[in-house]
Amino acid sequence: MANGHDAHLHHISQRFNAELKDLRDHVLVMGGMVEKQVAEAIDALVRLDAPLAEEVKANDRHVNRLETTIDEECTRVIAKRQPTAGDLRLVIAVTKMVNDLERIGDESKKIAKSTLQIIESGRLPEGAVEVRMIGEHVSRMLRQSLDAFTRFDINVAYEVIKEDRIVDSEYKTAMRSLVTAMMEDSRNISPILNIMWVLRALERVGDHARNICQHVIYMVHGKDVRHATVEQTEEIISGSR
Amino acid sequence: MSSTSRTHAVDISAIERSTEDLDLSSETIALKVNQLKLFYGQKEALHGIDMNIPKKRVTAFIGPSGCGKSTLLRCFNRMNDLVDGCRIEGQILLDDANIYAKGTDVADLRRRVGMVFQKPNPFPKSIYENVAYGLRIQGINKKRILDETVEWALRSAALWDEVKDRLNESALGMSGGQQQRLVIARTVAVKPEVLLLDEPASALDPLSTLKIEELIHELKNDFTIVIVTHNMQQAARVSDYTAFMYMGDLIEFGTTNQLFTNPGSKQTEDYITGRYG
Repeated sequence: MANGHDAHLHHISQRFNAELKDLRDHVLVMGGMVEKQVAEAIDALVRLDAPLAEEVKANDRHVNRLETTIDEECTRVIAKRQPTAGDLRLVIAVTKMVNDLERIGDESKKIAKSTLQIIESGRLPEGAVEVRMIGEHVSRMLRQSLDAFTRFDINVAYEVIKEDRIVDSEYKTAMRSLVTAMMEDSRNISPILNIMWVLRALERVGDHARNICQHVIYMVHGKDVRHATVEQTEEIISGSR
Repeated sequence: MSSTSRTHAVDISAIERSTEDLDLSSETIALKVNQLKLFYGQKEALHGIDMNIPKKRVTAFIGPSGCGKSTLLRCFNRMNDLVDGCRIEGQILLDDANIYAKGTDVADLRRRVGMVFQKPNPFPKSIYENVAYGLRIQGINKKRILDETVEWALRSAALWDEVKDRLNESALGMSGGQQQRLVIARTVAVKPEVLLLDEPASALDPLSTLKIEELIHELKNDFTIVIVTHNMQQAARVSDYTAFMYMGDLIEFGTTNQLFTNPGSKQTEDYITGRYG
């Protein structure tokens, strides 16, 4: 479906235009906030920076507040404007995307909490390399998913969906090596468990970035690919490329 | 004037058409429109419309003013015959018979294909006589049959309970919404096959509008309904299928669910989201 990313600018009702634009801007603000939360959570762990981890924990409430604000905006638009077609799909996609963004915020907070426990235990265990690697990977996916939303770009969205499979396999590999490290020295178990929680959270961030991209495909193309395989997704969207 | 010299604001050849995608194989077809062209004098108002209207379903026509939706609706019972200089090419088949064939009994056609207009137009008669009118014209005067049919029609139009105690009062004393339902009762009293509704609720308040919409939903159990409406949300609420027309062309014809959530054509999208113009 032809629906350019600036299509909302051509609405006859300027107020409706403005409301849709606000909605999109607010999602991007929330996206930027969540990106920063993920980056700082990883940073705090790698540098064992307790104050930064505390800050990430505290900032989660800002993310939560934005989620409810944006959801309220969506409800208002539906009630007052009865959006249809692309406008409707935008609003529906936004309500789902803010949910994923909020969950990414929660994962960042979990990483910060684990970091504080690791710092308390006094040493950075095995797995810091994996955290940095998977962390960079999912951060990139998150940024791309927001780009895909901004530009209504289903090709970028599809790339992110594909990337998630790679993250999943990186995560499994990291888990295996950490289990080995736990078996080698039982004193490692507690700190490594914390690293495992962190990796698990990062892997979930990747899943949410993928979900966001699936919502972008729905928004642009009108096709629901949430339960499709990567191959099916490619087939579904190839018609419009 | 040839079809190439039409004045279009946009290049029609660039319009993406999505009518091919509509699968009506599970439906019985009430009306078949084949290459229908309509001219008002020299001006071609409909440019070769092809579509099938499914039986006992609600089909809505939407589109900006002047797109030809009311013109097309009026073709279904040959109301355009009454317009000077109006000429038609192509066919409309009702039960496989072309309603534009020579020798068609137009009065009988209009009994089979009834029509309700934007403004309620009750006759200055009693409520009862308004509904019995079409039957009396057909020569039915037996009181028992008339009584039964009037009650059935008024019940069909969801009006019986409101008027059963004042059937002999003038119809002009009713509210606008009641008058419109009375007109619908009058139309269904002669048991048509198809009901054409031309903006049936646009002169009514929101609650009367909802009653008419409820009524449409009930009536489709017995009748094929074709409705023209400017109110897109109304089209979305009441219809099973929606046709979007623009400048005398059928741009998109699809299920209402599809058309309002994921239309196939950019023009449909622009119109239903309010970006037309």
